[in-house]
Amino acid sequence: MVSDTGIPRPARSAGRVNEPRSALVEPEFDGTPRIVNRQAVALVREEWHVVERWWTEEPVRRRYFEVVLESGQNTVVFRDEERGAWFTQRGA
Amino acid sequence: MIACLSIPGFELRASLRARPRLALEPAALAPLEGTEPLLGPVTAAAEAAGVKPGMRLGEALAMCPSLTLVEPDPETAEREWEAIVRRLEDSGFSVEPAGPGCAYFETRGVERLYGGLEQALKRALEAVGSSWDPRVGAAERRFAALAAATVARPGQLLVVSDEQSPTFLAPHPLTLLPLETGRRQELQDLGVRTIGGLAALPDASVAERLGADGRRAHGLARGGSKRRVRGRRQPAEIVEFLTFPEAVGNELTLRRAFGALLDQVLARPERGGRFIRKIALSARLVGGGSWRRTATLRDPTAEHARLKAALAPKLAELPAPVLELRLELVDLTESRGMQLELVRPEGAVIRSHLREGLKQVRASTGSGSVCSVVEVSPWSRIPESRALLVPRDE
Repeated sequence: MVSDTGIPRPARSAGRVNEPRSALVEPEFDGTPRIVNRQAVALVREEWHVVERWWTEEPVRRRYFEVVLESGQNTVVFRDEERGAWFTQRGA
Repeated sequence: MIACLSIPGFELRASLRARPRLALEPAALAPLEGTEPLLGPVTAAAEAAGVKPGMRLGEALAMCPSLTLVEPDPETAEREWEAIVRRLEDSGFSVEPAGPGCAYFETRGVERLYGGLEQALKRALEAVGSSWDPRVGAAERRFAALAAATVARPGQLLVVSDEQSPTFLAPHPLTLLPLETGRRQELQDLGVRTIGGLAALPDASVAERLGADGRRAHGLARGGSKRRVRGRRQPAEIVEFLTFPEAVGNELTLRRAFGALLDQVLARPERGGRFIRKIALSARLVGGGSWRRTATLRDPTAEHARLKAALAPKLAELPAPVLELRLELVDLTESRGMQLELVRPEGAVIRSHLREGLKQVRASTGSGSVCSVVEVSPWSRIPESRALLVPRDE
Protein backbone atom coordinates (compact mmCIF):
# COMPACT_ATOMS: atom_id res chain seq x y z
CA MET A 1 0.00 0.00 0.00
CA VAL A 2 1.25 3.48 -0.81
CA SER A 3 1.12 6.06 1.90
CA ASP A 4 -0.16 9.47 0.92
CA THR A 5 2.67 11.97 1.21
CA GLY A 6 0.15 14.79 1.26
CA ILE A 7 2.35 16.79 -1.10
CA PRO A 8 0.49 17.63 -4.28
CA ARG A 9 2.48 17.04 -7.43
CA PRO A 10 3.00 20.11 -9.57
CA ALA A 11 0.75 20.41 -12.59
CA ARG A 12 2.35 19.12 -15.76
CA SER A 13 1.66 21.22 -18.74
CA ALA A 14 2.93 20.35 -22.13
CA GLY A 15 4.80 23.26 -23.69
CA ARG A 16 5.07 24.11 -27.35
CA VAL A 17 8.11 23.71 -29.54
CA ASN A 18 9.01 26.61 -31.86
CA GLU A 19 6.79 29.10 -30.07
CA PRO A 20 6.74 32.47 -31.95
CA ARG A 21 8.79 35.29 -30.37
CA SER A 22 7.91 38.92 -30.82
CA ALA A 23 10.14 40.82 -33.21
CA LEU A 24 10.85 44.46 -34.01
CA VAL A 25 10.05 44.81 -37.69
CA GLU A 26 9.81 47.90 -39.86
CA PRO A 27 7.85 47.06 -43.00
CA GLU A 28 7.97 48.57 -46.48
CA PHE A 29 4.86 50.19 -47.93
CA ASP A 30 3.82 46.78 -49.41
CA GLY A 31 4.15 45.02 -46.06
CA THR A 32 7.48 43.23 -46.70
CA PRO A 33 10.00 43.60 -43.86
CA ARG A 34 12.71 46.26 -44.29
CA ILE A 35 14.37 46.02 -40.87
CA VAL A 36 14.19 43.02 -38.54
CA ASN A 37 15.42 43.39 -34.96
CA ARG A 38 17.47 46.48 -35.92
CA GLN A 39 19.13 44.73 -38.84
CA ALA A 40 18.41 45.67 -42.41
CA VAL A 41 16.94 43.00 -44.66
CA ALA A 42 19.24 42.17 -47.58
CA LEU A 43 16.91 39.79 -49.37
CA VAL A 44 13.37 38.41 -49.06
CA ARG A 45 13.80 34.82 -50.18
CA GLU A 46 10.25 33.62 -49.88
CA GLU A 47 6.81 34.75 -48.83
CA TRP A 48 3.74 32.66 -47.98
CA HIS A 49 0.44 32.87 -46.16
CA VAL A 50 -1.01 30.58 -43.50
CA VAL A 51 -4.75 30.78 -42.93
CA GLU A 52 -6.00 28.13 -40.50
CA ARG A 53 -8.66 27.50 -37.88
CA TRP A 54 -10.88 30.20 -39.36
CA TRP A 55 -13.82 28.15 -38.15
CA THR A 56 -12.74 28.46 -34.50
CA GLU A 57 -12.68 31.34 -32.03
CA GLU A 58 -8.90 31.50 -32.42
CA PRO A 59 -8.30 31.85 -36.14
CA VAL A 60 -4.75 31.94 -37.48
CA ARG A 61 -3.94 34.41 -40.28
CA ARG A 62 -0.22 34.92 -40.86
CA ARG A 63 1.97 36.34 -43.59
CA TYR A 64 5.39 34.67 -43.45
CA PHE A 65 8.69 35.97 -44.89
CA GLU A 66 11.95 34.10 -45.08
CA VAL A 67 14.59 36.83 -45.14
CA VAL A 68 18.37 37.16 -45.24
CA LEU A 69 19.65 39.94 -43.02
CA GLU A 70 22.64 42.18 -43.72
CA SER A 71 24.76 40.08 -41.37
CA GLY A 72 24.02 37.03 -43.51
CA GLN A 73 21.68 35.50 -40.95
CA ASN A 74 18.70 33.58 -42.32
CA THR A 75 15.50 34.11 -40.39
CA VAL A 76 11.74 33.69 -40.69
CA VAL A 77 9.38 36.43 -39.58
CA PHE A 78 5.63 36.69 -39.86
CA ARG A 79 2.97 39.26 -39.36
CA ASP A 80 0.03 38.02 -37.32
CA GLU A 81 -2.86 39.65 -39.14
CA GLU A 82 -5.25 38.84 -36.29
CA ARG A 83 -3.14 40.54 -33.62
CA GLY A 84 -1.42 43.07 -35.85
CA ALA A 85 2.04 42.16 -34.55
CA TRP A 86 5.34 40.77 -35.88
CA PHE A 87 7.05 37.60 -34.71
CA THR A 88 10.10 35.50 -35.53
CA GLN A 89 9.78 31.75 -35.59
CA ARG A 90 12.00 28.73 -35.99
CA GLY A 91 10.96 25.56 -37.73
CA ALA A 92 8.71 27.38 -40.21
CA MET B 1 -24.77 -4.86 11.60
CA ILE B 2 -24.34 -4.17 7.92
CA ALA B 3 -25.04 -0.61 6.88
CA CYS B 4 -25.73 0.62 3.40
CA LEU B 5 -25.08 4.16 2.26
CA SER B 6 -27.18 5.30 -0.66
CA ILE B 7 -26.95 8.54 -2.63
CA PRO B 8 -29.61 8.34 -5.35
CA GLY B 9 -28.67 9.89 -8.68
CA PHE B 10 -25.05 10.19 -7.61
CA GLU B 11 -23.65 10.71 -11.12
CA LEU B 12 -26.09 13.56 -11.77
CA ARG B 13 -25.32 15.15 -8.41
CA ALA B 14 -21.59 14.93 -9.10
CA SER B 15 -22.03 16.46 -12.55
CA LEU B 16 -24.10 19.28 -11.04
CA ARG B 17 -21.49 20.19 -8.40
CA ALA B 18 -20.02 22.76 -10.78
CA ARG B 19 -23.50 24.10 -11.71
CA PRO B 20 -25.56 23.97 -8.49
CA ARG B 21 -28.21 26.28 -9.98
CA LEU B 22 -29.31 23.46 -12.28
CA ALA B 23 -30.13 21.23 -9.30
CA LEU B 24 -33.26 23.33 -8.74
CA GLU B 25 -34.32 23.24 -12.39
CA PRO B 26 -35.62 20.39 -14.56
CA ALA B 27 -32.41 18.58 -15.50
CA ALA B 28 -31.40 15.02 -16.30
CA LEU B 29 -28.21 13.14 -16.97
CA ALA B 30 -27.83 12.78 -20.73
CA PRO B 31 -27.36 9.30 -22.16
CA LEU B 32 -23.79 8.26 -22.95
CA GLU B 33 -22.79 8.57 -26.57
CA GLY B 34 -23.31 5.36 -28.48
CA THR B 35 -25.82 3.96 -25.99
CA GLU B 36 -29.60 3.77 -26.10
CA PRO B 37 -31.09 7.28 -25.74
CA LEU B 38 -32.41 6.72 -22.24
CA LEU B 39 -32.21 9.34 -19.51
CA GLY B 40 -30.10 8.84 -16.41
CA PRO B 41 -31.08 10.23 -12.99
CA VAL B 42 -33.25 13.35 -12.96
CA THR B 43 -33.66 16.31 -10.59
CA ALA B 44 -36.71 16.75 -8.36
CA ALA B 45 -37.98 19.59 -10.60
CA ALA B 46 -37.77 17.30 -13.63
CA GLU B 47 -39.56 14.54 -11.75
CA ALA B 48 -42.31 16.99 -10.82
CA ALA B 49 -42.67 17.76 -14.54
CA GLY B 50 -43.27 14.08 -15.25
CA VAL B 51 -39.76 13.11 -16.37
CA LYS B 52 -38.54 9.81 -14.96
CA PRO B 53 -35.11 8.14 -14.98
CA GLY B 54 -34.83 5.63 -17.82
CA MET B 55 -37.32 7.52 -19.96
CA ARG B 56 -36.64 7.87 -23.71
CA LEU B 57 -34.98 11.17 -24.54
CA GLY B 58 -37.61 12.21 -27.10
CA GLU B 59 -40.47 11.41 -24.75
CA ALA B 60 -38.85 13.35 -21.91
CA LEU B 61 -38.23 16.43 -24.07
CA ALA B 62 -41.81 16.30 -25.35
CA MET B 63 -43.08 16.14 -21.78
CA CYS B 64 -40.76 18.86 -20.45
CA PRO B 65 -39.35 21.13 -23.22
CA SER B 66 -37.33 23.13 -20.68
CA LEU B 67 -35.45 20.00 -19.58
CA THR B 68 -31.67 20.58 -19.41
CA LEU B 69 -29.50 17.64 -20.38
CA VAL B 70 -26.38 17.38 -18.25
CA GLU B 71 -23.32 15.82 -19.86
CA PRO B 72 -22.08 12.82 -17.83
CA ASP B 73 -18.86 13.61 -16.00
CA PRO B 74 -17.58 10.18 -14.91
CA GLU B 75 -14.21 11.54 -13.86
CA THR B 76 -15.70 14.01 -11.37
CA ALA B 77 -18.15 11.34 -10.18
CA GLU B 78 -15.29 8.91 -9.58
CA ARG B 79 -13.25 11.54 -7.74
CA GLU B 80 -16.14 12.68 -5.55
CA TRP B 81 -17.11 9.10 -4.76
CA GLU B 82 -13.54 8.27 -3.83
CA ALA B 83 -13.50 11.30 -1.51
CA ILE B 84 -16.72 10.11 0.17
CA VAL B 85 -15.42 6.56 0.64
CA ARG B 86 -12.20 7.95 2.09
CA ARG B 87 -14.09 10.13 4.54
CA LEU B 88 -16.02 7.06 5.69
CA GLU B 89 -12.78 5.11 6.03
CA ASP B 90 -11.23 7.99 7.95
CA SER B 91 -14.15 7.69 10.39
CA GLY B 92 -13.16 4.09 11.03
CA PHE B 93 -15.57 2.20 8.77
CA SER B 94 -14.45 -0.65 6.60
CA VAL B 95 -16.15 0.17 3.31
CA GLU B 96 -17.08 -2.07 0.41
CA PRO B 97 -18.17 0.18 -2.47
CA ALA B 98 -20.89 -1.35 -4.66
CA GLY B 99 -20.75 1.41 -7.30
CA PRO B 100 -20.94 5.19 -7.39
CA GLY B 101 -23.55 6.26 -4.83
CA CYS B 102 -23.84 2.93 -3.00
CA ALA B 103 -21.54 1.35 -0.44
CA TYR B 104 -21.77 -1.15 2.38
CA PHE B 105 -19.91 -0.90 5.64
CA GLU B 106 -19.73 -2.84 8.86
CA THR B 107 -20.71 -1.04 12.07
CA ARG B 108 -19.71 -3.74 14.56
CA GLY B 109 -16.14 -2.55 15.01
CA VAL B 110 -16.99 1.11 15.61
CA GLU B 111 -20.25 0.96 17.59
CA ARG B 112 -18.41 1.09 20.91
CA LEU B 113 -16.18 3.86 19.64
CA TYR B 114 -19.10 6.16 18.84
CA GLY B 115 -21.42 5.03 21.66
CA GLY B 116 -23.89 2.79 19.85
CA LEU B 117 -25.22 1.86 16.43
CA GLU B 118 -27.23 5.03 15.82
CA GLN B 119 -24.33 7.25 16.82
CA ALA B 120 -22.04 5.36 14.47
CA LEU B 121 -24.51 5.72 11.59
CA LYS B 122 -24.94 9.42 12.36
CA ARG B 123 -21.20 9.74 12.20
CA ALA B 124 -21.25 8.06 8.78
CA LEU B 125 -23.88 10.52 7.53
CA GLU B 126 -21.81 13.42 8.82
CA ALA B 127 -18.72 12.04 7.12
CA VAL B 128 -20.52 11.95 3.77
CA GLY B 129 -21.86 15.50 4.15
CA SER B 130 -25.42 16.77 4.00
CA SER B 131 -24.98 18.31 0.54
CA TRP B 132 -25.14 14.84 -0.99
CA ASP B 133 -28.50 13.98 0.70
CA PRO B 134 -27.15 10.62 1.88
CA ARG B 135 -29.38 7.93 3.34
CA VAL B 136 -28.23 5.06 5.51
CA GLY B 137 -29.98 1.77 6.15
CA ALA B 138 -28.74 -0.88 8.58
CA ALA B 139 -29.75 -4.50 8.99
CA GLU B 140 -28.27 -7.92 9.63
CA ARG B 141 -28.36 -8.68 5.92
CA ARG B 142 -27.17 -6.68 2.95
CA PHE B 143 -30.38 -6.61 0.97
CA ALA B 144 -32.46 -5.44 3.92
CA ALA B 145 -29.86 -2.71 4.54
CA LEU B 146 -30.05 -1.67 0.88
CA ALA B 147 -33.84 -1.63 0.96
CA ALA B 148 -33.80 0.45 4.16
CA ALA B 149 -31.35 2.94 2.62
CA THR B 150 -33.43 3.13 -0.56
CA VAL B 151 -36.65 4.03 1.24
CA ALA B 152 -35.06 6.34 3.82
CA ARG B 153 -35.46 10.09 3.39
CA PRO B 154 -32.43 12.32 2.69
CA GLY B 155 -30.24 12.51 5.79
CA GLN B 156 -32.25 9.78 7.53
CA LEU B 157 -30.96 6.54 8.99
CA LEU B 158 -33.20 3.51 9.14
CA VAL B 159 -32.36 0.42 11.19
CA VAL B 160 -34.18 -2.85 10.52
CA SER B 161 -33.70 -5.75 12.92
CA ASP B 162 -33.56 -9.33 11.61
CA GLU B 163 -36.96 -10.11 13.12
CA GLN B 164 -38.58 -7.08 11.47
CA SER B 165 -36.87 -7.73 8.16
CA PRO B 166 -39.59 -9.90 6.46
CA THR B 167 -42.40 -7.53 7.42
CA PHE B 168 -40.27 -4.52 6.44
CA LEU B 169 -39.43 -5.94 3.01
CA ALA B 170 -42.86 -7.38 2.20
CA PRO B 171 -44.75 -4.24 1.05
CA HIS B 172 -41.91 -2.83 -1.07
CA PRO B 173 -42.17 -2.98 -4.87
CA LEU B 174 -40.21 -5.41 -7.02
CA THR B 175 -38.12 -2.54 -8.41
CA LEU B 176 -35.85 -2.92 -5.37
CA LEU B 177 -34.77 -6.33 -6.64
CA PRO B 178 -32.05 -6.78 -9.25
CA LEU B 179 -34.42 -8.20 -11.87
CA GLU B 180 -34.59 -7.66 -15.62
CA THR B 181 -37.52 -5.50 -16.71
CA GLY B 182 -38.98 -8.44 -18.63
CA ARG B 183 -38.87 -10.72 -15.61
CA ARG B 184 -40.39 -8.06 -13.41
CA GLN B 185 -43.17 -7.51 -15.93
CA GLU B 186 -43.75 -11.26 -16.05
CA LEU B 187 -44.16 -11.33 -12.29
CA GLN B 188 -46.49 -8.34 -12.35
CA ASP B 189 -48.60 -10.02 -15.03
CA LEU B 190 -48.91 -12.97 -12.66
CA GLY B 191 -50.16 -10.61 -9.97
CA VAL B 192 -46.92 -10.52 -7.96
CA ARG B 193 -46.26 -6.85 -7.29
CA THR B 194 -44.41 -6.76 -4.00
CA ILE B 195 -41.35 -8.36 -2.46
CA GLY B 196 -43.61 -10.11 0.04
CA GLY B 197 -45.61 -11.60 -2.84
CA LEU B 198 -42.46 -13.01 -4.42
CA ALA B 199 -41.15 -14.32 -1.09
CA ALA B 200 -44.38 -16.26 -0.58
CA LEU B 201 -43.94 -18.20 -3.82
CA PRO B 202 -42.45 -21.70 -3.61
CA ASP B 203 -38.75 -22.03 -4.45
CA ALA B 204 -39.13 -24.61 -7.19
CA SER B 205 -41.87 -22.69 -9.05
CA VAL B 206 -39.78 -19.51 -9.12
CA ALA B 207 -36.72 -21.40 -10.37
CA GLU B 208 -38.74 -23.11 -13.07
CA ARG B 209 -40.47 -19.98 -14.29
CA LEU B 210 -37.79 -17.31 -13.88
CA GLY B 211 -34.47 -19.19 -13.98
CA ALA B 212 -31.30 -18.24 -12.11
CA ASP B 213 -32.10 -14.51 -11.93
CA GLY B 214 -35.48 -15.25 -10.45
CA ARG B 215 -34.01 -17.60 -7.87
CA ARG B 216 -31.56 -14.95 -6.81
CA ALA B 217 -34.30 -12.32 -6.51
CA HIS B 218 -36.43 -14.83 -4.62
CA GLY B 219 -33.56 -15.44 -2.19
CA LEU B 220 -33.19 -11.69 -1.66
CA ALA B 221 -36.94 -11.29 -1.16
CA ARG B 222 -36.61 -13.79 1.69
CA GLY B 223 -33.88 -11.69 3.27
CA GLY B 224 -30.78 -12.60 1.29
CA SER B 225 -27.51 -13.99 2.56
CA LYS B 226 -25.67 -12.82 5.65
CA ARG B 227 -22.41 -12.34 3.75
CA ARG B 228 -20.18 -9.98 5.69
CA VAL B 229 -18.76 -6.76 4.33
CA ARG B 230 -15.28 -7.02 2.88
CA GLY B 231 -13.48 -3.69 3.15
CA ARG B 232 -11.76 -2.61 -0.02
CA ARG B 233 -8.04 -2.34 -0.52
CA GLN B 234 -6.81 1.23 -0.57
CA PRO B 235 -6.26 2.47 -4.14
CA ALA B 236 -2.63 3.04 -5.07
CA GLU B 237 -3.14 6.70 -6.04
CA ILE B 238 -0.29 7.08 -8.42
CA VAL B 239 -1.44 9.60 -10.97
CA GLU B 240 0.18 11.40 -13.87
CA PHE B 241 -1.56 13.94 -16.04
CA LEU B 242 -0.85 16.11 -18.99
CA THR B 243 -2.59 19.39 -19.80
CA PHE B 244 -2.60 20.32 -23.46
CA PRO B 245 -2.16 23.93 -24.56
CA GLU B 246 -5.20 23.47 -26.78
CA ALA B 247 -7.87 20.79 -27.16
CA VAL B 248 -6.56 17.69 -28.93
CA GLY B 249 -8.86 15.43 -30.88
CA ASN B 250 -6.35 13.59 -33.00
CA GLU B 251 -6.02 9.96 -31.96
CA LEU B 252 -2.37 9.73 -32.95
CA THR B 253 -1.53 12.73 -30.77
CA LEU B 254 -3.46 11.26 -27.88
CA ARG B 255 -1.73 7.91 -28.27
CA ARG B 256 1.64 9.64 -28.12
CA ALA B 257 0.64 11.63 -25.07
CA PHE B 258 -0.65 8.43 -23.49
CA GLY B 259 2.70 6.73 -24.21
CA ALA B 260 4.55 9.58 -22.49
CA LEU B 261 2.21 9.43 -19.47
CA LEU B 262 2.66 5.67 -19.24
CA ASP B 263 6.44 6.10 -19.16
CA GLN B 264 6.11 8.65 -16.37
CA VAL B 265 3.67 6.70 -14.25
CA LEU B 266 5.72 3.49 -14.52
CA ALA B 267 8.80 5.38 -13.41
CA ARG B 268 7.20 6.78 -10.24
CA PRO B 269 9.20 5.65 -7.22
CA GLU B 270 6.02 4.98 -5.19
CA ARG B 271 5.29 2.03 -7.45
CA GLY B 272 8.25 0.31 -5.85
CA GLY B 273 8.63 -2.34 -8.52
CA ARG B 274 5.07 -3.59 -8.06
CA PHE B 275 2.92 -4.74 -10.94
CA ILE B 276 -0.23 -3.09 -12.14
CA ARG B 277 -3.52 -4.93 -11.68
CA LYS B 278 -5.92 -2.10 -12.53
CA ILE B 279 -5.23 1.08 -14.45
CA ALA B 280 -7.54 3.97 -15.33
CA LEU B 281 -7.34 6.47 -18.14
CA SER B 282 -9.47 9.58 -17.92
CA ALA B 283 -9.77 12.82 -19.84
CA ARG B 284 -11.21 16.27 -19.30
CA LEU B 285 -13.12 17.12 -22.45
CA VAL B 286 -13.63 20.38 -24.20
CA GLY B 287 -17.05 21.73 -23.23
CA GLY B 288 -16.83 20.61 -19.60
CA GLY B 289 -17.50 16.87 -19.63
CA SER B 290 -15.11 14.07 -18.81
CA TRP B 291 -14.41 10.51 -19.87
CA ARG B 292 -12.97 7.55 -18.00
CA ARG B 293 -12.06 3.98 -18.83
CA THR B 294 -10.45 1.36 -16.64
CA ALA B 295 -8.68 -1.85 -17.50
CA THR B 296 -8.18 -4.72 -15.08
CA LEU B 297 -5.36 -6.96 -16.17
CA ARG B 298 -5.80 -10.68 -15.72
CA ASP B 299 -2.05 -11.03 -15.44
CA PRO B 300 -0.58 -8.05 -13.55
CA THR B 301 2.30 -6.42 -15.39
CA ALA B 302 4.59 -3.42 -15.51
CA GLU B 303 5.41 -3.82 -19.18
CA HIS B 304 4.88 -0.68 -21.18
CA ALA B 305 3.79 -2.55 -24.31
CA ARG B 306 1.16 -4.68 -22.55
CA LEU B 307 -0.33 -1.75 -20.67
CA LYS B 308 -0.43 0.28 -23.85
CA ALA B 309 -2.14 -2.55 -25.68
CA ALA B 310 -4.77 -2.74 -22.93
CA LEU B 311 -5.67 0.95 -22.77
CA ALA B 312 -4.58 2.77 -25.92
CA PRO B 313 -7.39 1.36 -28.13
CA LYS B 314 -9.90 2.95 -25.76
CA LEU B 315 -8.70 6.39 -26.89
CA ALA B 316 -10.70 5.81 -30.08
CA GLU B 317 -13.87 5.94 -27.95
CA LEU B 318 -13.26 9.54 -26.84
CA PRO B 319 -16.40 11.52 -27.65
CA ALA B 320 -14.80 15.01 -27.85
CA PRO B 321 -11.39 16.77 -28.01
CA VAL B 322 -9.31 16.50 -24.86
CA LEU B 323 -7.94 19.27 -22.66
CA GLU B 324 -6.25 17.03 -20.10
CA LEU B 325 -5.27 13.37 -20.13
CA ARG B 326 -4.85 11.54 -16.84
CA LEU B 327 -3.45 8.11 -16.10
CA GLU B 328 -3.94 6.48 -12.73
CA LEU B 329 -2.60 3.27 -11.25
CA VAL B 330 -5.62 2.09 -9.28
CA ASP B 331 -4.53 -1.29 -8.00
CA LEU B 332 -1.03 -2.67 -7.61
CA THR B 333 0.07 -6.16 -6.71
CA GLU B 334 3.21 -7.25 -4.96
CA SER B 335 6.27 -7.94 -7.04
CA ARG B 336 6.47 -11.39 -8.50
CA GLY B 337 9.32 -13.41 -9.82
CA MET B 338 10.19 -12.64 -13.41
CA GLN B 339 12.18 -14.64 -15.86
CA LEU B 340 15.32 -12.63 -16.62
CA GLU B 341 16.58 -12.58 -20.16
CA LEU B 342 19.89 -14.20 -21.02
CA VAL B 343 20.85 -11.60 -23.61
CA ARG B 344 19.82 -8.01 -23.06
CA PRO B 345 17.87 -6.54 -25.97
CA GLU B 346 19.69 -4.28 -28.39
CA GLY B 347 19.98 -0.71 -27.15
CA ALA B 348 19.20 -1.54 -23.51
CA VAL B 349 22.65 -0.47 -22.30
CA ILE B 350 22.51 2.85 -24.15
CA ARG B 351 19.01 3.51 -22.80
CA SER B 352 20.12 2.86 -19.24
CA HIS B 353 23.12 5.22 -19.69
CA LEU B 354 20.83 7.88 -21.13
CA ARG B 355 18.39 7.46 -18.24
CA GLU B 356 21.22 7.84 -15.73
CA GLY B 357 22.51 10.95 -17.51
CA LEU B 358 19.08 12.57 -17.53
CA LYS B 359 18.68 11.73 -13.85
CA GLN B 360 21.84 13.68 -13.09
CA VAL B 361 20.70 16.65 -15.18
CA ARG B 362 17.41 16.71 -13.30
CA ALA B 363 19.17 16.43 -9.97
CA SER B 364 21.25 19.52 -10.74
CA THR B 365 18.63 21.64 -12.51
CA GLY B 366 15.39 20.67 -10.80
CA SER B 367 12.03 19.20 -11.68
CA GLY B 368 10.65 19.94 -15.14
CA SER B 369 14.06 20.67 -16.64
CA VAL B 370 14.11 17.54 -18.78
CA CYS B 371 11.46 17.30 -21.45
CA SER B 372 10.87 15.07 -24.39
CA VAL B 373 9.56 16.30 -27.69
CA VAL B 374 6.36 14.53 -28.67
CA GLU B 375 5.42 15.03 -32.27
CA VAL B 376 1.71 15.62 -32.38
CA SER B 377 0.71 17.09 -35.74
CA PRO B 378 3.81 17.01 -37.95
CA TRP B 379 1.64 17.89 -40.94
CA SER B 380 0.38 21.15 -39.41
CA ARG B 381 1.07 24.40 -41.25
CA ILE B 382 1.41 26.16 -37.92
CA PRO B 383 4.95 25.38 -36.72
CA GLU B 384 4.22 25.58 -32.98
CA SER B 385 1.41 23.02 -33.31
CA ARG B 386 3.65 20.29 -34.70
CA ALA B 387 5.24 19.10 -31.45
CA LEU B 388 4.86 19.40 -27.69
CA LEU B 389 7.42 19.49 -24.92
CA VAL B 390 6.39 16.95 -22.30
CA PRO B 391 8.15 17.15 -18.91
CA ARG B 392 9.85 13.92 -17.82
CA ASP B 393 10.51 13.62 -14.14
CA GLU B 394 11.34 9.95 -13.77
